[in-house]
Amino acid sequence: MKLGLSRACLYSCSCAPIFSSSMPSLTTIKPKIPVFLRPPTYLVTSLDLQKWHGWAKNLASSVGSSLVESDNGPDSTLLCREINWLLEDSLENRSSSSRFSFSQYKYDTSGKNESVMLRISLDDLYQLWKQRIEERRPFQYIVGCEHWRDLVLSVQEGVLIPRPETELIVDLVHDVVSNYEELGQGMWADVGTGSGAIAIGIRRIFGSYARVIATDLSPVAVSVATFNVQRYGLQDVIEVRQGSWFEPLKDVEGQLVGIVSNPPYIPSDNISGLQAEVGRHEPRVALDGGASGMDYLLHLCNGAAAMLKPGGFFAFETNGEKQCEFLIDYMQNDIAGSFCNLNIVSDFAGIQRFVTGFRQ
Amino acid sequence: MSYLIVKRSCNRFSHLDFSKFQNFLSLNQNHKVLVSGLPSVLTKTIKNPSWSYFSVSKYHKFSHLSGKDKVLASGFGVLKSLFSTQAAVELSTSDGLTIDGIVASNWTILDESESDWKSHAAAIAQSIQVIKRRLQWKKLMVRLDLLSAQLNNPDLWDDPVHAGKISREHGSLMAKMKEVKALERELLEHIDMIKLAREEDDTELESETLKALLWMRRNSNEKELEALLSGEQDSCSCYIEVQGGAGGTESMDWAKMVMQMYKSWAQHHGYGVTVVDEMPGEIAGIKRATIKVDGEYAFGYAKAEVGVHRLVRISPFDSGKRRHTSFAAVAVIPILGDGSTRVQINESDLRIERFRAGGAGGQHVNTTESAVRIVHIPSGITATCQNERSQHMNKASAMAVLQSRLDQLEMARQAQINAQHTQSLTDIGWGNQIRSYVLHPYRMVKDLRTNYEVSDPDSVLEGEIDGFILSYLSASLDKDKDCP
Ligand SMILES: C[S@@+](CC[C@H](N)C(=O)[O-])C[C@H]1O[C@@H](n2cnc3c(N)ncnc32)[C@H](O)[C@@H]1O
Repeated sequence: MKLGLSRACLYSCSCAPIFSSSMPSLTTIKPKIPVFLRPPTYLVTSLDLQKWHGWAKNLASSVGSSLVESDNGPDSTLLCREINWLLEDSLENRSSSSRFSFSQYKYDTSGKNESVMLRISLDDLYQLWKQRIEERRPFQYIVGCEHWRDLVLSVQEGVLIPRPETELIVDLVHDVVSNYEELGQGMWADVGTGSGAIAIGIRRIFGSYARVIATDLSPVAVSVATFNVQRYGLQDVIEVRQGSWFEPLKDVEGQLVGIVSNPPYIPSDNISGLQAEVGRHEPRVALDGGASGMDYLLHLCNGAAAMLKPGGFFAFETNGEKQCEFLIDYMQNDIAGSFCNLNIVSDFAGIQRFVTGFRQ
Repeated sequence: MSYLIVKRSCNRFSHLDFSKFQNFLSLNQNHKVLVSGLPSVLTKTIKNPSWSYFSVSKYHKFSHLSGKDKVLASGFGVLKSLFSTQAAVELSTSDGLTIDGIVASNWTILDESESDWKSHAAAIAQSIQVIKRRLQWKKLMVRLDLLSAQLNNPDLWDDPVHAGKISREHGSLMAKMKEVKALERELLEHIDMIKLAREEDDTELESETLKALLWMRRNSNEKELEALLSGEQDSCSCYIEVQGGAGGTESMDWAKMVMQMYKSWAQHHGYGVTVVDEMPGEIAGIKRATIKVDGEYAFGYAKAEVGVHRLVRISPFDSGKRRHTSFAAVAVIPILGDGSTRVQINESDLRIERFRAGGAGGQHVNTTESAVRIVHIPSGITATCQNERSQHMNKASAMAVLQSRLDQLEMARQAQINAQHTQSLTDIGWGNQIRSYVLHPYRMVKDLRTNYEVSDPDSVLEGEIDGFILSYLSASLDKDKDCP
């Protein structure tokens, strides 16, 4: 099957960055500190917290399955679990959060009123949970972090919340470097790095010599990725650069042993129908892949041919079967001779999600 | 005889290790004392193996008794032939009290903090008996006699290989026997000493001996526990799974209470507790849940809980306030250590499913739902994890559960037995009731296997189940005794 747009057009549109020249300089954007990393400075009583908990659960229950039906949003079971996680992140002693929920029944019967230290004020807790339910603000923006693989990554408005599907890219890279050890020692790029998730995930499986360059056009993404890289102590081996796709990588052209990317791939027409958490809150520049959704994927295929060393590996995430097949077809025919061992890999939901291959 | 004690203690003195002594102190401060009625077994936060503390208590006794010139007139002094087993000699105090005699006297066992020598002595005697049961004492004695006879046979060394085997076995059984005898002797010496102190109105000696008895009580407790928990997998961490029986919300609420009981129990013991999987009920409670209990001997204790737990109460979910009976099934799976042979899992035999897979996924969806279910296709065994915050971690957790389930299946297959604790939840028949919790019309928790009972269900539901566990474990020893 072929997508509507001619490839020539796809290719040419994608070269122009979405942002024009006037980008705010890096130093002006300070990343927000996720709740779980803030100092516990708010003293509240367990009864007040209990009251909040009850209120929050009620609000969550009132949702029922209405959001699932309207746009595949969260149901109340999921929201109740989020409440526990919000508490877990807000309470001073993270391990005590489990005790908190365990002993609820004791609080009720004994009426014992202990004081608890929180990392955000009780007012904020009310505020945030209201935003979660009424505005459908994503839970991960509320707590300022996303648990992704074994990482806890800082995220905030302006940066895509890394998806569970994308975790698999790290496994794919892991398999490749186990088979071809030299790949684990060279220079890699994660283009459109967002929170830095893939860059950090893959760097942690490489040998000591490997380097990763992570690029993003968005200044917020660059500053959040830099924050996350530093939090994992990887600033000497992961370099975050701002710019459009391969532009900031001109100095390493032809030298990369691997490229990974999860570029925006949702067709523009689909953006308005997205689940509220995504469509209303996540940055469009991280989602919109042009009319067919393939603008950037095709740009990346072409760029990868120039950037990779012979034998170099790439893995791209796509919107599903159609895009995977289109890309394979494109690489086998339109730019034949550039890549080999092309492969489509499905995610856990069985959707064909990734295209992988090697530079010939 | 006090000379003997001092001399023995002096030998120990050189091995003194003060850090252990302090460890021992702090360890014991954490101990919780059980409801009465059971061998005074302590709940054990097993971090350090206990045998090493033994010499410490000797030192302690030494420090209090040295300088005393009381003479004990006790009836020991057994003359040994070269390979005597001492089997025929029953130790006693100067006035003829034996260990069996102490047990038979049924002295009340009080809390450790009560300074009552009879209570201490009874507790120690009971511990010694458990240790002896574990060693299959009578058989051990018969075997020792046999080996001694062979060793005394002058022709034995004509076959040096055989002789070596006999002599090694004799040596090892002898050591076990002597260790028990030493415990018995120590207890009897203390009793003689305390009686002497009372006769002579020596309050200082009396209180020192009491202290020594207390140390000994704690020590023999530790040894008793070691004897109870000597199964191959006992020292492993484990999963505990609870599933509600028929009866809707009432049963699901009961399942949740049972799970809560284990969470509290595990936390009191300093075990790590993680919820791996939890399927909440529609209105209240849980349909089923799995927790991971991390720490030494978690499996050894928890395996005593396998089976169906029954609750009788006025249901809070019944507007008619009628009495209901509900059931919850408990399964316990050991998490084998790295040293054990584990079932090899082929990636290609697995199907990994993500929940709420509906929709386009990827960038289209933002969800915190990251539950993962893994199906092992050849066996049909599945494992689910949904309590981690990332799919990757849920997958890792579910894989660990799957691994343990497959290991458990394999163990049962190899052993060709269906020992209770290797049963999975689905194997446990609802008829297999092990304990009954009655909140109405009277209040009582009773173990149907051991008849051990407690009249305060609240404390039990708050996790005080050691009494049940330990009485079951020691009852199982007796059962094992009949097996070869
Ligand atoms: C779908 S998000 C993926 C983010 C991250 N790699 C992840 O998987 O979570 C796409 C990312 O591409 C970035 N992006 C969009 N246009 C870009 C461009 N022209 N050059 C570089 N990055 C771009 C967005 O800012 C966004 O961070």
